[in-house]
Amino acid sequence: MSIGKFEHFKPRTLGDAVELLNKYGPGARVIAGGTDLMVKMRLRAVSPEVLVSLKNIPDLDTITVDPKQGLTIGATALLADVAAHPGIRKYFPAVAAAANDTANIQVRNMGTVVGNLCNASPSADNAPTLLVMGATVHIIGAKGKRELPLADFFKGPGLTALAPGEIVTAVSVPPPPPNTGVVYLSFSGRGKLDCSTVGVGALITLDAGTCKTVRVAIGACAPTPMRAPGAEKLLTGNAVDETLLRSASRKAAEETKPIDDLRASAAYRLKVVEVITYRVLTEACGIARQ
Amino acid sequence: MEKYSILGNDIPRNDARAKATGAAMYTDDMKLPGMLHGALLRSPHPHARIASIDTSRAAKLKGVKAVITGRDLPKVTFSNWRLYPATMDEYALANDRVRFIGDEVAAVAAVDRETAIEALDFIRVDYEPLPAVYDVDAAISQGAPVLHELIPNNISVNRKIEYGDIEKGFAESDYVREDVFTVHAVSHVYLEPCSSLAACDQDGRITLWTSTQTPYIVQCLLASALGMRENDVRVIKPFIGGGFGGKMELRPWEVCAAFLAKKTGFPVKFTLTREDELAFGRRRHPMKLRSKVGFKKDGTLVAKDLHILLDGGGYNSMGPTATYLAGNFGAFLYRYPSYRFLGEHVYTNKPPAGAMRGFGAPQTLFAAETQMNMVAEELGIDPIELRLKNAMVPGDELPGVATISSCGLIESIQEVAKMSDWKRKREEYKKGGGKGIGIGCYSFISGGVFNWFNTQYPFSTAEVRAFEDGTVHLLTMASDIGQGSDTALKMILAEDLGLQMEDIRITSGDTAITPQSDLGSWGSRVTLFAGRAILEASRQIKEKLYGAVSARYNLNVIYDFECKNGRVQAVGKPKYGLSFGEAVSMVQKAGRGEPLVARGSYTPRSKGMVSPAFSFGAQVAEVETDMETGKVQVKKMYTAHDCGTVINHMCVEGQLEGSIQMGLGYTLSEQFIMDGGKTLNTSLLDYKMPHAADMPESDHVCIPTYEPEGPHGAKEAGEGLVIPTAPAIGEAVYHATGYRCKDLPITPEKILKSLGKL
Repeated sequence: MSIGKFEHFKPRTLGDAVELLNKYGPGARVIAGGTDLMVKMRLRAVSPEVLVSLKNIPDLDTITVDPKQGLTIGATALLADVAAHPGIRKYFPAVAAAANDTANIQVRNMGTVVGNLCNASPSADNAPTLLVMGATVHIIGAKGKRELPLADFFKGPGLTALAPGEIVTAVSVPPPPPNTGVVYLSFSGRGKLDCSTVGVGALITLDAGTCKTVRVAIGACAPTPMRAPGAEKLLTGNAVDETLLRSASRKAAEETKPIDDLRASAAYRLKVVEVITYRVLTEACGIARQ
Repeated sequence: MEKYSILGNDIPRNDARAKATGAAMYTDDMKLPGMLHGALLRSPHPHARIASIDTSRAAKLKGVKAVITGRDLPKVTFSNWRLYPATMDEYALANDRVRFIGDEVAAVAAVDRETAIEALDFIRVDYEPLPAVYDVDAAISQGAPVLHELIPNNISVNRKIEYGDIEKGFAESDYVREDVFTVHAVSHVYLEPCSSLAACDQDGRITLWTSTQTPYIVQCLLASALGMRENDVRVIKPFIGGGFGGKMELRPWEVCAAFLAKKTGFPVKFTLTREDELAFGRRRHPMKLRSKVGFKKDGTLVAKDLHILLDGGGYNSMGPTATYLAGNFGAFLYRYPSYRFLGEHVYTNKPPAGAMRGFGAPQTLFAAETQMNMVAEELGIDPIELRLKNAMVPGDELPGVATISSCGLIESIQEVAKMSDWKRKREEYKKGGGKGIGIGCYSFISGGVFNWFNTQYPFSTAEVRAFEDGTVHLLTMASDIGQGSDTALKMILAEDLGLQMEDIRITSGDTAITPQSDLGSWGSRVTLFAGRAILEASRQIKEKLYGAVSARYNLNVIYDFECKNGRVQAVGKPKYGLSFGEAVSMVQKAGRGEPLVARGSYTPRSKGMVSPAFSFGAQVAEVETDMETGKVQVKKMYTAHDCGTVINHMCVEGQLEGSIQMGLGYTLSEQFIMDGGKTLNTSLLDYKMPHAADMPESDHVCIPTYEPEGPHGAKEAGEGLVIPTAPAIGEAVYHATGYRCKDLPITPEKILKSLGKL
C-alpha cells in the first residue's frame, strides 16, 4: 500500500511546533524518527494530512546525565545514542540496555526513546525500565508546560494521556537510591531482532538482604505496560532468597492478562513472564548487593 | 584434478558492485513514457462462485484507463506442465469461480498506483460462497467440497514408484517402524516482490520486463494466454532480487500487464507488495508423510514404504513436479533394496504451493533423515555409523529412476563428523545443560531431464561470438536471478578460452536476442546445463582458432593446441602461437569477413528419469536450548558437501550461508498462521524470517569429486544445501531436550509442552 498525500512542516522552535499542531487540529501528527508512524501510514492505519517534524528544533535531542540529578532524554534523542551514551551506560545501564534491545540497528539509528513511549505499544521496550525507575514525562502544549508520571501516561494500545496539540519534550528519571539494581530483559520468538513477546523491567533496593523497595513492570502482556503490585508486595520487607523470588515471579505472571495472538499463546506468555521475571529479579538483586 | 587458472577462484560477482551501490535496475525501478500502473482485485473468499462482476463504476473513475476481468481475456489455462494439458488448471483472472483468498479476479490500469488501487473498491463482484476445505485429510474424504469439477476426489496428480520386493523386505526385517510427519508452508521471501512491465509496439508485439526465473517459459505461456505467436512476445529479465522457485511460472500480473498494454496503447506496470506476497504468494508445499522403514539388526536398510499427501492449495502450480521429486528423494541418500512410493497432490482452498528451493526434497528428507535418527537410537547405533553403513556410492542404481555417477556422501559424512568433533560432543552433551548436536544429510538434482514443458528446443543453449580485439560475447537465455550464474558461466568460458573475466561480455535472459532456448533457473540446472552448452560452443570456436594457428605456422597435423593466458598456441611449443585476437582475425580473414560465431546446446539424453547428476552432503548442527523458555539457539553449523568441481568458491559459500538462513527459518521460526483459508501474518514483523544477527557460525568443506557429465566436473551447489538443516537441528534439539520434532516447525511452546513445563 502506498502512502497518502500530506504536508510536512519542520518548525525550528517548540512554540512553532505547538502552534502548527493546534492550527491543523486532529489531522496533524508529530513525527520524530518516524519508524512507527511511517509504517502505520503505509498501511493506511493512520492518514495524517500534516506532519510536524521535531527534528529541526535545536537541542531537543539533548541527553543530560547526572548521578545526583538524574537522567533526561530529549524528544529527538536517538535510541542508538541512548544505547551508546557513556554516562547512561555508567549510571543508568538498564536504560541503555532497553534502548539497545529495541528493534534493529536501522530503527535505532532513526527512532527515539520518547517516540517509543509515545507510540504506546504494549510491547514498547523502553517502557518497563523507565516505569520502574519512576520516570516523568515532560509535556508542552498551547496552555504551557506540564509534567506527568510515566505511570499515568499509557492509556491503551496506541493511546496516551497527551491532550490534542501536546508534544512530549523529554522523559526524565531520578537517580536510583543506593544498593539498587535495575534490569530489563526481553524475550521474543525470532532470536535477536524481533518485537518482544514479553519484556520485564525491575528495580529493587536491598537493605542487608531485605527488599526495601521493589517495582516490577511487564510489557506485551496487557493493553499497556503494566506493574505487578502483587509480586512487589510479596517481596517488600522480606529477606530475598531464591524461593521468594520464584514465588514473586509466579505471582507476577498471575497478575498479567496475556492473550493468544500471532506471537505466542497466552499460556506460553504466562510461563515466560515467570521465567523472565525471575531472571530479572535475580540479576537486579545481584547488582543491588554490589 | 586438472589445474585451472579461473575456476575455483574467489572471483567477485558481475553484479556485486551494481547491487551494493544501488545502481542495479530492477523491474520496479523502470519507468517508460506514459506508463500506467496496474492493480489486482483479489477474492476475499476461500471458495466461491462468481455470479456477476460490474466494473462500470471503476472504469468511470478519473485516471482509470482500463478495467478487465476473466471475460476480457482469451479463455486459456496455463502451467509449466504443457505436456499434460489436464494439469493446466489456472486462468490469469478467475472465470466463474475463485478457489483461495487472493485468487485474482480483475485488473485495473490507471495513471498512478493510488488511482488503480482506489478503483478496485468500485468493482462490484457478487460472490456465492461455497464450502471450503483447508486440510488434506478432509479434502480427500467422502463428501468434501470439490475444487475442480474434473477432479472429484481433489487428488489432481499422483505418482507411484516401486522396485524390489517390498513385502518380502518388511518380512525379512528385524526392525520395522512407521511414523507420520507433517511439514508446513513457508515463503520464499525473495527480497524483490514480483514486478512486471509490459509495452506494446506499433505492430502489436509485446515486450515484457519481468521478475522471472524462466523468461522462455513466460514467453511461450504468455503468447498462448493472449493468443499470440511466440515470436511476437519478447521477455527480458532485468536484475532479479531472488526467486528460490517462486518466480518460475507465468503469473496473472504478467498476463494483465501485457493485455492492458495492448488494450490501452501505454506501457503498464504491476508490482506486488510484501503483504501480497505473504498473503497470496506461492509457498513451499505442506506435506503429510507416512513413512515405514525396515532394517536388519545390524542397521542394514531393507525396505521403505512412503506415502505423501501434498497440500497443493487451490491450483496445481508446480505441485506435479514437487510430487514427482518428493518420490525420487524418498529413495535417496541410502541404498534401499526395495522401495514403494505413492505421492498424491491434493487441492485445498489455500494459496497454491509452488516450487521452492529443494522442490519436494526438504520435506521428504526431513522425514527420512529424522526417521533415520530415530532408528539409530532404537538400534543403539550412532547416527553417523548408521548412515555410513547404508550411504549411496558411485554407480548405485535406482531401478528405472536414476543412476548415481559422482557421489561423495560417505566422505562428506566422515568429514563432517571430524570437523564437528561429533563423537566427543555427542557423549558430553548427554549430561544435560540444554546442549545438543545432530546430523542430517542431503542429495539434490543438477537440473531435470524431464520435458513436461514440452519445449521444442534444446534444454540450454549458448552462442559465443569472438572478436579480433581479443574479447568474446556470450549470449545465453540462462537467467541470473541473483544466484550468480552470469559470473559462473563467464568463468567456465574464460577458463576454456584462456581469457580473463573482463574479456567476456555476457547477454543473458532476453528471449529476442539470446539463442533458443533455456528452460530457466530452477532445479539447480544452470551451471551444468548452460555450462555444457557453453563448452560445446567454445569447442567449435577453438577448432577454428587452432586451424588458423596451424595454418599460420604450417604445422604438422599431429600438433595439439591450447587456449591459455590470452593466447592460442601449440601445446608444448608456445612459440607457435598467436594472441587470441590475432587468431580470431586470421579466422575472420580466411572467411572473408565472416564473424567467428558458434552455438552450442545441451539436452540430457539417456540420463534416467530425474537428473544427469546429483550433489550430496552432510550437515551437523549444534544447539543450545533454554530449558525454561524452550528457546533454541543454533550455535554452529558444520557442512561437508560434494558439489563436484567448485567453479567459484565465494558463490558456493554464499549459497551455503543462504541455505542455512532459509533452513533456520524453516526449522525454527517461519510459518504461516492461518485462520481457515486466511493468512494472518502478512508482514515481516509477524512472519519470522531469521535476520543476519541470528546467523550461527558456520564451517564447511567441499569434498573434491569430479562429475563426468558436468562442465569441468561441476554439479549442483545451490538448492540441496537447504535440505539437511531441519533434520540436523531437529536431532540436535532431541539430543539437547528429549523433544523429538515430527511436525515442523520446532517452537519453544512445543518443546516446553513435551517437557511437561506448559
